[in-house]
Amino acid sequence: MNASTASSFVEELAQRHLDAAYNLGRWLLGNEHEAADAVHDAFVRATRAADSYAGGNARAWWLAIVRNCCLARLASRKREAQQRHLSVVQASVPTEIDTVEADAEAEQRRVSIAAQLRALPAEFREALVLREIEDLSYREIADVLGVPIGTVMSRLARGRALLRRALEPAPEKAHGM
Amino acid sequence: MECKAAAHLLEAYLDNELDRDSARELEAHADTCAECAGELGRLGELRHALRDGSLRHAAPAALRERIRASAAARPTSARTLPAWTRFAAACVLAFGAGALSVYLWNFAPSSTASTQLTRDLFASHWRALAATSPVDVTSSDRHTVKPWFAGKVTPAPLVRDFAEQGFALVGGRIDYVGSTRVPVLVYKHGQHLIDVFVLPAMAGAPKAAQEQGYALNTTPLGEQSAAIVSDMDQQELASLTQLLGSSK
Repeated sequence: MNASTASSFVEELAQRHLDAAYNLGRWLLGNEHEAADAVHDAFVRATRAADSYAGGNARAWWLAIVRNCCLARLASRKREAQQRHLSVVQASVPTEIDTVEADAEAEQRRVSIAAQLRALPAEFREALVLREIEDLSYREIADVLGVPIGTVMSRLARGRALLRRALEPAPEKAHGM
Repeated sequence: MECKAAAHLLEAYLDNELDRDSARELEAHADTCAECAGELGRLGELRHALRDGSLRHAAPAALRERIRASAAARPTSARTLPAWTRFAAACVLAFGAGALSVYLWNFAPSSTASTQLTRDLFASHWRALAATSPVDVTSSDRHTVKPWFAGKVTPAPLVRDFAEQGFALVGGRIDYVGSTRVPVLVYKHGQHLIDVFVLPAMAGAPKAAQEQGYALNTTPLGEQSAAIVSDMDQQELASLTQLLGSSK
Protein backbone atom coordinates (compact mmCIF):
# COMPACT_ATOMS: atom_id res chain seq x y z
CA MET A 1 0.00 0.00 0.00
CA ASN A 2 1.54 3.36 -0.96
CA ALA A 3 0.84 6.70 0.67
CA SER A 4 -2.20 7.63 -1.40
CA THR A 5 -3.87 4.25 -0.95
CA ALA A 6 -3.07 4.49 2.77
CA SER A 7 -4.80 7.84 3.10
CA SER A 8 -7.76 6.83 0.98
CA PHE A 9 -8.03 3.69 3.12
CA VAL A 10 -8.23 5.89 6.21
CA GLU A 11 -10.75 8.23 4.61
CA GLU A 12 -12.95 5.35 3.55
CA LEU A 13 -12.69 3.85 7.02
CA ALA A 14 -13.47 7.14 8.73
CA GLN A 15 -16.48 7.84 6.51
CA ARG A 16 -17.88 4.34 6.96
CA HIS A 17 -17.66 4.51 10.75
CA LEU A 18 -18.28 8.22 11.13
CA ASP A 19 -21.55 7.82 13.02
CA ALA A 20 -19.90 5.40 15.44
CA ALA A 21 -16.97 7.78 15.93
CA TYR A 22 -19.17 10.83 16.42
CA ASN A 23 -21.51 8.99 18.75
CA LEU A 24 -18.58 7.85 20.90
CA GLY A 25 -17.32 11.43 20.92
CA ARG A 26 -20.72 12.75 21.96
CA TRP A 27 -21.02 10.33 24.86
CA LEU A 28 -17.46 10.94 26.02
CA LEU A 29 -17.41 14.71 25.60
CA GLY A 30 -21.10 15.49 25.89
CA ASN A 31 -20.92 18.33 23.39
CA GLU A 32 -21.51 18.34 19.65
CA HIS A 33 -18.81 20.81 18.62
CA GLU A 34 -16.12 19.14 20.66
CA ALA A 35 -17.22 15.72 19.44
CA ALA A 36 -16.93 16.85 15.81
CA ASP A 37 -13.54 18.45 16.47
CA ALA A 38 -12.27 15.33 18.21
CA VAL A 39 -13.36 13.12 15.31
CA HIS A 40 -11.63 15.46 12.88
CA ASP A 41 -8.45 15.37 15.04
CA ALA A 42 -8.72 11.60 14.97
CA PHE A 43 -8.97 11.55 11.20
CA VAL A 44 -5.81 13.68 10.85
CA ARG A 45 -4.00 11.50 13.36
CA ALA A 46 -5.16 8.28 11.70
CA THR A 47 -3.97 9.46 8.29
CA ARG A 48 -0.52 10.14 9.72
CA ALA A 49 -0.44 6.87 11.63
CA ALA A 50 -1.82 4.64 8.89
CA ASP A 51 1.23 2.41 9.29
CA SER A 52 0.35 1.61 12.89
CA TYR A 53 -2.62 -0.28 11.51
CA ALA A 54 -1.16 -3.74 11.08
CA GLY A 55 -4.23 -5.61 9.96
CA GLY A 56 -6.97 -6.84 12.26
CA ASN A 57 -10.14 -4.99 13.11
CA ALA A 58 -10.03 -1.64 11.34
CA ARG A 59 -13.13 -0.28 13.07
CA ALA A 60 -11.59 -0.97 16.50
CA TRP A 61 -8.34 0.69 15.38
CA TRP A 62 -10.20 3.80 14.18
CA LEU A 63 -12.41 4.04 17.27
CA ALA A 64 -9.36 3.66 19.52
CA ILE A 65 -7.86 6.74 17.85
CA VAL A 66 -11.13 8.64 18.19
CA ARG A 67 -11.26 7.74 21.86
CA ASN A 68 -7.69 8.91 22.41
CA CYS A 69 -8.52 12.26 20.85
CA CYS A 70 -11.58 12.54 23.09
CA LEU A 71 -9.52 11.67 26.18
CA ALA A 72 -6.97 14.31 25.23
CA ARG A 73 -9.76 16.87 25.16
CA LEU A 74 -11.15 15.60 28.43
CA ALA A 75 -7.75 15.87 30.06
CA SER A 76 -7.53 19.50 29.06
CA ARG A 77 -10.69 20.24 31.00
CA LYS A 78 -9.82 18.13 34.00
CA ARG A 79 -11.57 20.31 36.50
CA GLU A 80 -14.95 19.80 34.85
CA ALA A 81 -14.24 16.12 34.51
CA GLN A 82 -13.72 15.92 38.25
CA GLN A 83 -17.04 17.57 38.85
CA ARG A 84 -18.68 15.07 36.57
CA HIS A 85 -17.11 12.26 38.54
CA LEU A 86 -18.48 13.65 41.79
CA SER A 87 -21.89 14.10 40.29
CA VAL A 88 -22.14 10.33 39.87
CA VAL A 89 -22.44 9.84 43.60
CA GLN A 90 -25.32 12.28 43.73
CA ALA A 91 -26.72 11.26 40.34
CA SER A 92 -29.91 13.07 39.63
CA VAL A 93 -33.04 11.35 40.87
CA PRO A 94 -34.83 9.57 38.03
CA THR A 95 -37.84 11.35 36.70
CA GLU A 96 -41.09 10.18 38.26
CA ILE A 97 -42.93 7.82 35.97
CA ASP A 98 -46.55 8.22 36.93
CA THR A 99 -47.94 9.51 33.67
CA VAL A 100 -51.05 7.68 32.59
CA GLU A 101 -50.37 7.90 28.89
CA ALA A 102 -48.09 5.16 27.66
CA ASP A 103 -46.42 7.38 25.07
CA ALA A 104 -45.49 9.99 27.58
CA GLU A 105 -44.23 7.29 29.89
CA ALA A 106 -41.99 5.83 27.21
CA GLU A 107 -40.71 9.28 26.38
CA GLN A 108 -40.00 9.98 30.04
CA ARG A 109 -38.08 6.75 30.28
CA ARG A 110 -35.99 7.56 27.23
CA VAL A 111 -35.05 10.93 28.66
CA SER A 112 -34.29 9.36 31.99
CA ILE A 113 -32.05 6.64 30.47
CA ALA A 114 -30.07 9.20 28.50
CA ALA A 115 -29.62 11.28 31.64
CA GLN A 116 -28.50 8.33 33.73
CA LEU A 117 -26.13 7.08 31.05
CA ARG A 118 -24.60 10.55 30.92
CA ALA A 119 -24.21 10.48 34.68
CA LEU A 120 -22.21 7.24 34.69
CA PRO A 121 -18.44 7.44 35.22
CA ALA A 122 -16.69 7.57 31.84
CA GLU A 123 -15.12 4.11 32.07
CA PHE A 124 -18.53 2.43 32.41
CA ARG A 125 -20.26 4.82 30.02
CA GLU A 126 -17.84 4.22 27.16
CA ALA A 127 -17.97 0.43 27.59
CA LEU A 128 -21.79 0.52 27.51
CA VAL A 129 -21.92 2.87 24.52
CA LEU A 130 -19.58 0.65 22.52
CA ARG A 131 -21.45 -2.52 23.48
CA GLU A 132 -25.08 -1.44 23.41
CA ILE A 133 -25.20 1.42 20.95
CA GLU A 134 -22.37 0.50 18.59
CA ASP A 135 -22.79 -3.27 19.02
CA LEU A 136 -19.08 -4.06 19.34
CA SER A 137 -17.94 -7.46 20.59
CA TYR A 138 -15.95 -7.87 23.82
CA ARG A 139 -12.79 -8.37 21.75
CA GLU A 140 -13.38 -5.14 19.79
CA ILE A 141 -14.15 -3.16 22.93
CA ALA A 142 -10.97 -4.53 24.52
CA ASP A 143 -9.02 -3.34 21.46
CA VAL A 144 -10.59 0.12 21.54
CA LEU A 145 -10.06 0.61 25.27
CA GLY A 146 -6.69 -1.15 25.36
CA VAL A 147 -7.69 -3.35 28.30
CA PRO A 148 -8.10 -7.14 28.72
CA ILE A 149 -11.44 -8.74 27.89
CA GLY A 150 -11.97 -9.54 31.57
CA THR A 151 -11.86 -5.83 32.34
CA VAL A 152 -14.40 -5.14 29.58
CA MET A 153 -16.73 -7.72 31.12
CA SER A 154 -16.44 -6.30 34.60
CA ARG A 155 -16.94 -2.71 33.40
CA LEU A 156 -20.05 -3.71 31.46
CA ALA A 157 -21.42 -5.58 34.47
CA ARG A 158 -20.72 -2.66 36.79
CA GLY A 159 -22.12 -0.14 34.31
CA ARG A 160 -25.32 -2.12 33.83
CA ALA A 161 -25.75 -2.58 37.56
CA LEU A 162 -25.30 1.16 38.20
CA LEU A 163 -27.65 2.07 35.40
CA ARG A 164 -30.33 -0.35 36.55
CA ARG A 165 -30.13 0.87 40.09
CA ALA A 166 -30.41 4.45 38.96
CA LEU A 167 -33.47 3.63 36.85
CA GLU A 168 -35.29 1.61 39.48
CA PRO A 169 -38.35 3.17 41.08
CA ALA A 170 -37.51 4.79 44.40
CA PRO A 171 -38.86 2.25 46.98
CA GLU A 172 -36.84 -0.67 45.62
CA LYS A 173 -33.83 1.53 45.37
CA ALA A 174 -33.62 1.75 49.13
CA HIS A 175 -32.98 -1.99 49.30
CA GLY A 176 -30.24 -1.81 46.71
CA MET A 177 -27.03 -3.80 47.08
CA MET B 1 -25.72 -25.54 36.34
CA GLU B 2 -26.11 -23.70 39.62
CA CYS B 3 -27.46 -20.19 40.03
CA LYS B 4 -24.08 -18.87 41.07
CA ALA B 5 -22.44 -20.11 37.88
CA ALA B 6 -25.43 -18.97 35.81
CA ALA B 7 -25.45 -15.46 37.29
CA HIS B 8 -21.87 -15.12 36.19
CA LEU B 9 -22.73 -16.00 32.60
CA LEU B 10 -26.03 -14.15 32.10
CA GLU B 11 -24.50 -11.03 30.61
CA ALA B 12 -22.06 -12.91 28.39
CA TYR B 13 -25.07 -14.89 27.16
CA LEU B 14 -27.00 -11.72 26.43
CA ASP B 15 -23.97 -10.29 24.62
CA ASN B 16 -23.64 -13.38 22.42
CA GLU B 17 -20.24 -14.12 23.84
CA LEU B 18 -20.95 -17.57 25.23
CA ASP B 19 -20.03 -20.68 23.31
CA ARG B 20 -22.93 -22.84 22.19
CA ASP B 21 -22.66 -25.50 24.87
CA SER B 22 -22.57 -23.03 27.74
CA ALA B 23 -25.42 -21.06 26.17
CA ARG B 24 -27.53 -24.20 26.00
CA GLU B 25 -26.70 -25.10 29.59
CA LEU B 26 -27.67 -21.62 30.68
CA GLU B 27 -30.97 -21.75 28.78
CA ALA B 28 -31.75 -25.10 30.39
CA HIS B 29 -31.05 -23.57 33.79
CA ALA B 30 -33.16 -20.47 33.11
CA ASP B 31 -36.08 -22.73 32.12
CA THR B 32 -36.20 -24.13 35.63
CA CYS B 33 -35.03 -21.15 37.67
CA ALA B 34 -37.42 -18.23 37.98
CA GLU B 35 -34.81 -16.03 39.56
CA CYS B 36 -32.28 -16.34 36.74
CA ALA B 37 -35.02 -16.11 34.12
CA GLY B 38 -36.24 -12.90 35.77
CA GLU B 39 -32.76 -11.47 35.88
CA LEU B 40 -32.30 -12.28 32.21
CA GLY B 41 -35.59 -10.52 31.47
CA ARG B 42 -34.55 -7.40 33.35
CA LEU B 43 -31.18 -7.32 31.59
CA GLY B 44 -33.06 -7.67 28.32
CA GLU B 45 -35.28 -4.70 29.19
CA LEU B 46 -32.26 -2.54 29.88
CA ARG B 47 -30.76 -3.58 26.57
CA HIS B 48 -34.01 -2.78 24.78
CA ALA B 49 -34.09 0.65 26.36
CA LEU B 50 -30.48 1.38 25.43
CA ARG B 51 -30.95 0.20 21.87
CA ASP B 52 -34.07 2.05 20.87
CA GLY B 53 -32.00 4.24 18.59
CA SER B 54 -32.69 7.59 20.21
CA LEU B 55 -29.41 7.38 22.13
CA ARG B 56 -27.25 7.23 19.03
CA HIS B 57 -25.99 10.55 17.74
CA ALA B 58 -25.53 10.54 13.97
CA ALA B 59 -22.57 12.46 12.61
CA PRO B 60 -23.60 15.85 11.20
CA ALA B 61 -23.24 16.29 7.45
CA ALA B 62 -20.82 19.16 8.08
CA LEU B 63 -18.36 16.80 9.77
CA ARG B 64 -18.58 14.35 6.88
CA GLU B 65 -17.84 17.18 4.47
CA ARG B 66 -15.00 18.51 6.63
CA ILE B 67 -13.25 15.14 6.57
CA ARG B 68 -13.68 14.86 2.83
CA ALA B 69 -12.13 18.31 2.45
CA SER B 70 -9.18 17.46 4.74
CA ALA B 71 -8.55 14.26 2.83
CA ALA B 72 -8.53 16.12 -0.48
CA ALA B 73 -6.20 18.80 0.88
CA ARG B 74 -3.76 16.17 2.04
CA PRO B 75 -2.44 14.61 -1.12
CA THR B 76 0.16 11.83 -0.98
CA SER B 77 2.05 13.28 1.95
CA ALA B 78 5.70 12.29 1.83
CA ARG B 79 5.84 11.23 5.45
CA THR B 80 3.60 8.19 5.14
CA LEU B 81 5.64 6.71 2.32
CA PRO B 82 8.72 5.56 4.26
CA ALA B 83 6.53 4.16 7.01
CA TRP B 84 4.68 1.93 4.61
CA THR B 85 7.89 0.94 2.92
CA ARG B 86 9.27 -0.08 6.28
CA PHE B 87 6.20 -2.11 6.98
CA ALA B 88 6.37 -3.84 3.63
CA ALA B 89 10.06 -4.56 4.11
CA ALA B 90 9.32 -6.04 7.53
CA CYS B 91 6.69 -8.30 5.96
CA VAL B 92 9.14 -9.51 3.35
CA LEU B 93 11.79 -10.17 5.99
CA ALA B 94 9.39 -11.95 8.31
CA PHE B 95 8.15 -14.09 5.45
CA GLY B 96 11.71 -14.91 4.45
CA ALA B 97 12.70 -15.82 8.00
CA GLY B 98 9.59 -17.96 8.34
CA ALA B 99 10.30 -19.80 5.10
CA LEU B 100 13.88 -20.42 6.16
CA SER B 101 12.93 -21.79 9.55
CA VAL B 102 10.29 -24.06 8.02
CA TYR B 103 12.99 -25.28 5.67
CA LEU B 104 15.45 -25.96 8.48
CA TRP B 105 12.71 -27.49 10.57
CA ASN B 106 11.75 -30.03 7.95
CA PHE B 107 15.30 -31.07 7.28
CA ALA B 108 16.61 -31.24 10.82
CA PRO B 109 18.27 -34.66 11.04
CA SER B 110 17.06 -35.86 14.45
CA SER B 111 13.38 -35.04 14.13
CA THR B 112 11.69 -37.98 15.78
CA ALA B 113 8.06 -37.45 16.70
CA SER B 114 8.84 -36.78 20.34
CA THR B 115 11.55 -34.17 19.79
CA GLN B 116 9.34 -32.54 17.18
CA LEU B 117 6.57 -32.24 19.75
CA THR B 118 9.00 -30.89 22.34
CA ARG B 119 10.20 -28.29 19.89
CA ASP B 120 6.65 -27.35 19.01
CA LEU B 121 5.85 -26.83 22.67
CA PHE B 122 8.85 -24.58 23.29
CA ALA B 123 8.21 -22.66 20.08
CA SER B 124 4.59 -22.11 21.03
CA HIS B 125 5.62 -20.83 24.47
CA TRP B 126 8.13 -18.40 22.98
CA ARG B 127 5.62 -17.21 20.44
CA ALA B 128 3.20 -16.48 23.26
CA LEU B 129 5.87 -14.58 25.20
CA ALA B 130 6.55 -12.43 22.15
CA ALA B 131 2.85 -11.74 21.50
CA THR B 132 1.03 -8.70 22.88
CA SER B 133 -0.96 -10.90 25.20
CA PRO B 134 -0.23 -14.54 26.01
CA VAL B 135 -3.91 -15.19 26.72
CA ASP B 136 -7.11 -15.01 24.68
CA VAL B 137 -9.37 -15.17 27.68
CA THR B 138 -8.18 -13.35 30.76
CA SER B 139 -9.53 -14.59 34.02
CA SER B 140 -8.44 -15.95 37.31
CA ASP B 141 -11.79 -17.65 37.60
CA ARG B 142 -11.80 -21.20 36.35
CA HIS B 143 -15.55 -20.97 35.83
CA THR B 144 -14.86 -18.44 33.09
CA VAL B 145 -11.87 -20.16 31.56
CA LYS B 146 -13.39 -23.61 31.35
CA PRO B 147 -16.59 -22.61 29.48
CA TRP B 148 -14.50 -20.47 27.15
CA PHE B 149 -12.62 -23.58 26.13
CA ALA B 150 -15.71 -25.76 26.00
CA GLY B 151 -16.93 -24.46 22.66
CA LYS B 152 -13.51 -24.36 21.06
CA VAL B 153 -11.76 -27.64 21.78
CA THR B 154 -12.91 -31.06 22.85
CA PRO B 155 -12.55 -32.27 25.42
CA ALA B 156 -12.38 -29.04 27.45
CA PRO B 157 -9.45 -29.27 29.82
CA LEU B 158 -9.51 -29.52 33.57
CA VAL B 159 -8.99 -25.98 34.87
CA ARG B 160 -7.66 -25.32 38.37
CA ASP B 161 -6.33 -22.19 40.02
CA PHE B 162 -3.39 -22.59 42.39
CA ALA B 163 -3.13 -18.98 43.51
CA GLU B 164 -2.85 -20.05 47.13
CA GLN B 165 0.15 -22.18 46.31
CA GLY B 166 1.73 -19.30 44.40
CA PHE B 167 0.66 -20.26 40.88
CA ALA B 168 -2.12 -17.90 39.88
CA LEU B 169 -4.30 -18.74 36.88
CA VAL B 170 -4.26 -15.73 34.53
CA GLY B 171 -6.24 -17.14 31.61
CA GLY B 172 -6.13 -19.43 28.64
CA ARG B 173 -5.67 -19.55 24.91
CA ILE B 174 -5.90 -21.96 22.01
CA ASP B 175 -2.57 -22.65 20.35
CA TYR B 176 -1.18 -24.87 17.68
CA VAL B 177 1.20 -27.67 18.50
CA GLY B 178 2.25 -29.00 15.13
CA SER B 179 -1.03 -28.89 13.26
CA THR B 180 -3.25 -29.66 16.26
CA ARG B 181 -5.24 -27.07 18.20
CA VAL B 182 -4.71 -27.52 21.91
CA PRO B 183 -5.95 -25.64 24.95
CA VAL B 184 -3.27 -23.81 26.92
CA LEU B 185 -3.76 -22.73 30.52
CA VAL B 186 -1.62 -19.77 31.49
CA TYR B 187 -0.34 -19.30 35.04
CA LYS B 188 1.92 -16.78 36.67
CA HIS B 189 4.47 -17.42 39.37
CA GLY B 190 6.22 -14.22 40.42
CA GLN B 191 7.55 -12.84 37.15
CA HIS B 192 7.46 -16.23 35.43
CA LEU B 193 4.81 -16.90 32.84
CA ILE B 194 3.88 -20.55 32.65
CA ASP B 195 2.14 -22.31 29.79
CA VAL B 196 0.35 -25.56 30.51
CA PHE B 197 -0.45 -27.35 27.24
CA VAL B 198 -3.23 -29.88 27.65
CA LEU B 199 -2.49 -32.80 25.34
CA PRO B 200 -4.12 -36.16 24.70
CA ALA B 201 -2.71 -38.74 27.13
CA MET B 202 -1.05 -40.57 24.25
CA ALA B 203 0.66 -37.50 22.80
CA GLY B 204 4.06 -38.88 23.74
CA ALA B 205 5.66 -35.76 25.14
CA PRO B 206 8.87 -36.53 27.02
CA LYS B 207 8.77 -36.58 30.83
CA ALA B 208 11.16 -33.64 30.97
CA ALA B 209 13.22 -31.52 28.56
CA GLN B 210 15.21 -28.32 28.50
CA GLU B 211 16.03 -25.79 25.85
CA GLN B 212 17.77 -22.43 26.07
CA GLY B 213 17.03 -21.97 29.76
CA TYR B 214 13.40 -23.04 29.44
CA ALA B 215 12.20 -26.27 30.94
CA LEU B 216 9.38 -28.68 30.17
CA ASN B 217 7.74 -31.21 32.47
CA THR B 218 4.89 -33.57 31.69
CA THR B 219 2.29 -34.90 34.08
CA PRO B 220 -1.08 -36.66 33.75
CA LEU B 221 -4.01 -34.21 34.08
CA GLY B 222 -7.30 -36.01 34.56
CA GLU B 223 -7.82 -38.08 31.42
CA GLN B 224 -5.30 -36.01 29.52
CA SER B 225 -1.71 -35.03 30.00
CA ALA B 226 -0.23 -31.62 30.73
CA ALA B 227 3.05 -30.29 29.38
CA ILE B 228 4.31 -27.43 31.52
CA VAL B 229 6.71 -24.99 29.86
CA SER B 230 8.35 -22.02 31.55
CA ASP B 231 11.60 -20.49 32.69
CA MET B 232 11.08 -21.34 36.35
CA ASP B 233 13.79 -23.27 38.18
CA GLN B 234 13.51 -27.04 38.61
CA GLN B 235 12.13 -26.87 42.12
CA GLU B 236 9.31 -24.47 41.24
CA LEU B 237 8.54 -26.48 38.15
CA ALA B 238 8.41 -29.66 40.19
CA SER B 239 5.92 -28.21 42.65
CA LEU B 240 3.53 -27.04 39.90
CA THR B 241 3.93 -30.41 38.18
CA GLN B 242 2.90 -32.07 41.42
CA LEU B 243 -0.08 -29.74 41.97
CA LEU B 244 -1.39 -30.36 38.45
CA GLY B 245 -0.70 -34.09 38.67
CA SER B 246 -2.74 -34.40 41.84
CA SER B 247 -5.66 -32.16 40.74
CA LYS B 248 -8.96 -33.90 40.12
